[in-house]
Amino acid sequence: MGESLKDRLVVSNDTKHLIVVRDFVSRLIRASRLAREEENKVILAVDEAVTNIIEHGYDEGAEGSIEIEVEAADQQFKIVIRDTGRIFNPESIPDPDMKEHVQRGHKKGLGIFLMRQIMDEVRYKFKDGVKNELTLVKFIR
Amino acid sequence: MPAFQILKEKLPQGMVLLSVKGFLDAHTFEELEKTINDIFEDGIYKLAVDLSGLDYISSAGAGVFIGAIGTAQENDGNIILMKPSPNVKEVFDLLGLSQIFTFKDTREDAANALK
Repeated sequence: MGESLKDRLVVSNDTKHLIVVRDFVSRLIRASRLAREEENKVILAVDEAVTNIIEHGYDEGAEGSIEIEVEAADQQFKIVIRDTGRIFNPESIPDPDMKEHVQRGHKKGLGIFLMRQIMDEVRYKFKDGVKNELTLVKFIR
Repeated sequence: MPAFQILKEKLPQGMVLLSVKGFLDAHTFEELEKTINDIFEDGIYKLAVDLSGLDYISSAGAGVFIGAIGTAQENDGNIILMKPSPNVKEVFDLLGLSQIFTFKDTREDAANALK
């Protein structure tokens, strides 16, 4: 390919847009060199990241926007997700003990675990100008 | 096609079969959660869930089953999952839930597992 493929999508903080986000990521994966068997997983990782922002990033009823930028190069498929919600560092969340999770009937808190399982890199940065920036990278081998 | 659809069918011996179709994500999971809670309120705790029509599941969707299986088992019941597509099964595998949930291919096998 040589040249990288780049595109971005901006959605508001509403779960009804998750399907749009997934379709956007799917389209770019299919245009990239990423193996098709990784498609469902990478879409899932992005869905989990955006869902976390929608559910935890903003006060109830407050409107916010989420930017999803994809850059597909020869060696990696990179997604950068930016939002202006409250500061949230996923690196601070430990992996769950699944048996205990089920015993206690905990339904939440699995998204970050999935992101880490799926992606090769999960990096968080808080940027000046009040912005959370989450970078997800999948290497293309 | 609607994004998410649930069909409910009563089976003999106090069991219920739910067939779910479409996308089970943070936008649609509450509908399934409510359906299962309503079934529990009717005193039915033996559930088979046919996942063959489900195109996609995220952790919000899997969370519905995580939240419900304990209640079902405490009341002498269970939740048996049927025929997930490879994409859906992959998510259960990634979450380490494939060892916790029982998967069956036919409604007869699911009903036998619930007896």
